[in-house]
Amino acid sequence: MSKRKRPEPKSSSSGINEDEKNILGLIRSKQGMGATTYEMRTATKIQPTLVTRAVASLKKSNLIKEVPNMNNKGIKHFLAVEFQPCKELTGGDWYIDGALDVSKIEGLKEICVRILERLKSKVVTLDVIYSYFEKASSDADKLSREQTREILKNLVLDNVVMEVKSNGLTDFSATRIGEICYKLTGKKSGGGEVRDGGFASVPCGACPHIGLCTPDGVISPTTCVYFQKWLDF
Amino acid sequence: MTATEFGIVYAVHIITSHFGSVASKVCECLLRRGPLSSREISRLAESDINHTKVKDILYLLIHHNCVQAFSIDPPDGSESKPTVQYIALFRNIIHGARYNKFSKVVNEELGSQCSGLLDGLLSNGRLTLEQLIDRDRDSKKPMGSEVIRDSLQKLVAARFIERVPSPEPVLGNKDEGPAQKKRGAKASKIFKEPESLEERILEAATPVDAIRFPFIFEQDSSSTVADDDSNIPEGKRKQPEVDYSSGPSNEVIWRPNFEELIRRLRHKACVEIVKERRDEGCANVMKAMLEVGRSQEKKAKTDKSVPMSMGSIYEELIKTDAGREMTQARVEACLEQLSATSSYLPAFVIESDDSYIVDFKSIISVAQKDEMESVVMRRYGKEAFRMFRYLSQEDRFVETDKIADAALTEKKDTPQILLKMWRDGYLHMQKLAVTGVYMPFLLWKVNKLIVSRQMLDEMYHASLNLSLRLTHEKDSEKELLLLPMEKLEGALKERRNKYRAKSVLLTSASFKLDDAILLFHDF
Repeated sequence: MSKRKRPEPKSSSSGINEDEKNILGLIRSKQGMGATTYEMRTATKIQPTLVTRAVASLKKSNLIKEVPNMNNKGIKHFLAVEFQPCKELTGGDWYIDGALDVSKIEGLKEICVRILERLKSKVVTLDVIYSYFEKASSDADKLSREQTREILKNLVLDNVVMEVKSNGLTDFSATRIGEICYKLTGKKSGGGEVRDGGFASVPCGACPHIGLCTPDGVISPTTCVYFQKWLDF
Repeated sequence: MTATEFGIVYAVHIITSHFGSVASKVCECLLRRGPLSSREISRLAESDINHTKVKDILYLLIHHNCVQAFSIDPPDGSESKPTVQYIALFRNIIHGARYNKFSKVVNEELGSQCSGLLDGLLSNGRLTLEQLIDRDRDSKKPMGSEVIRDSLQKLVAARFIERVPSPEPVLGNKDEGPAQKKRGAKASKIFKEPESLEERILEAATPVDAIRFPFIFEQDSSSTVADDDSNIPEGKRKQPEVDYSSGPSNEVIWRPNFEELIRRLRHKACVEIVKERRDEGCANVMKAMLEVGRSQEKKAKTDKSVPMSMGSIYEELIKTDAGREMTQARVEACLEQLSATSSYLPAFVIESDDSYIVDFKSIISVAQKDEMESVVMRRYGKEAFRMFRYLSQEDRFVETDKIADAALTEKKDTPQILLKMWRDGYLHMQKLAVTGVYMPFLLWKVNKLIVSRQMLDEMYHASLNLSLRLTHEKDSEKELLLLPMEKLEGALKERRNKYRAKSVLLTSASFKLDDAILLFHDF
């Protein structure tokens, strides 16, 4: 009596077994984000030891690569070799080796402010600023349109630049009606100054311990070191 | 907005410094527990205060406009008599720290004689014309009864002072809506469901405008009006224990009208904000607009003014020196500027069908936003400032990584900064658990109402601290302050000068801080 032949663990065509095939499928479906071993276990219901073995084997056969997560170095993501790690893993354009390139960002912001100060028309569109970065001599200063927008948005959050919609009149004569434009804040550009906060100008406004301060407590207005410093004439 | 924890502590501190610790105990009891009868107060107040003393204190606080008595009609068919209850007026108590601001407003508009008269009313709570004349007679530089009478008339005409409210209004049962609707023809016309018990009581106690601000207030005519008391329905009027609406000789009793005084401060603040954020010309136009719409404002916290035409604005503008320098075309340009919107500033004026409406809410919100952001900047730094502004702009829940991307801040540091703000009540956070993802997502949002309340509480706390520190500085230099300044020399003189500098700084800081409190609580 002849027995039915058991299926081979390794599929002869691609050289990988069923588990590896499932895991590779999952990793490919996740594209640039890849999958962690935890995700592989929960999604495929394969035993942990078999997942580890399959991942090692896929790595060996150069089908997947390992990318660290910049948010959590302990968590490793596995990506199919044909995909580039996505923004969530690397941090995006502004990150170098997992750290934010603060000096570059601040430098670019300064350049933007200088451009806005120098321009005769108080109001400019994104394209005008972008043209400056497009023409930049060094590669480091070259920016994409999206990156230029990000820098300008950041200046808006800093309250240094404001976003205005063009109405086609006076200052906006060189722009299309409804187009988003940028201009510097402050008195000179007609936006006025942000007022100094009445609360922020007293020590309690900046005090990290205000929640612990009571009239007769350990931290109190009569014993407060911040008050002492403020009233030191 | 109801009183916050430190709001109550600060209010109690003000009462203690004005009327002593026993009065403050009664006041604290009312502030913390809400409306109570005098018997309940003597039972619940922390220290033993007998019933007679409680009543005396209540009359003192009523006299200084810090407490209002009222009673509620018993349910239909019930034989029981309505009991008199007392409610603390938190807003009026806090006004006690800003009397000099009110005095300044009156001084600028009506001159020093009127402001002197208002000062008398502010410090004494309530006075009759006769008492004001007596007070003047005893002063160093008497003005004379005629001047007092004239000034009083001017103050009433400008609505800076008012006739005292009904001493003990009777409120209808909650279910019994029509009892309230019956009150006065004018009140029924503008009837709107009042929000809180305090508002209901104040509305019931306030007489109609003709009685509140009489044109003629000579003894005879006023006493007739006072006795008439037409704002309270027939059968609802109960003989009060002490009648505060008129004095012993049936003369009208006056008190400061905080509602109007706050309205003027609000208008001044709006003009100031427009001046800072736009220019002098826009501020002049705004001032004229506020003047045009003022008489039609029903309450101090109005969101929008009535619509006004270009003609009426210009007519008002040319009454002032600065306004006369402006052409109509310039005014139109200013109005256009005021109606412009950007990411930086909202529209201050709404233009519709050739008329203009002042958007008070948006003007005040700009100053509130500045206050909030400057605190975030000082307390948590520039990155937090960007995140806070981004979340305020978005006005929805946003995930940590998205915030880091938008604010261009280091992704590893972002959760810590956000958590710090969340711990202090400046942000709202929600965890979102997703199956298959190990760590839950954290979503963040700026809830302006919660932040405003948190900041208001901290500002009351800071005001209390400034006041306590000033007392501490005064106490520590008590002996030095007794010495005459001209006799001081060397180190002692220097110490005295230092004390003066400290007290000037503390006073001016608390003055400025109170402006911020006004923004969040009264405007």
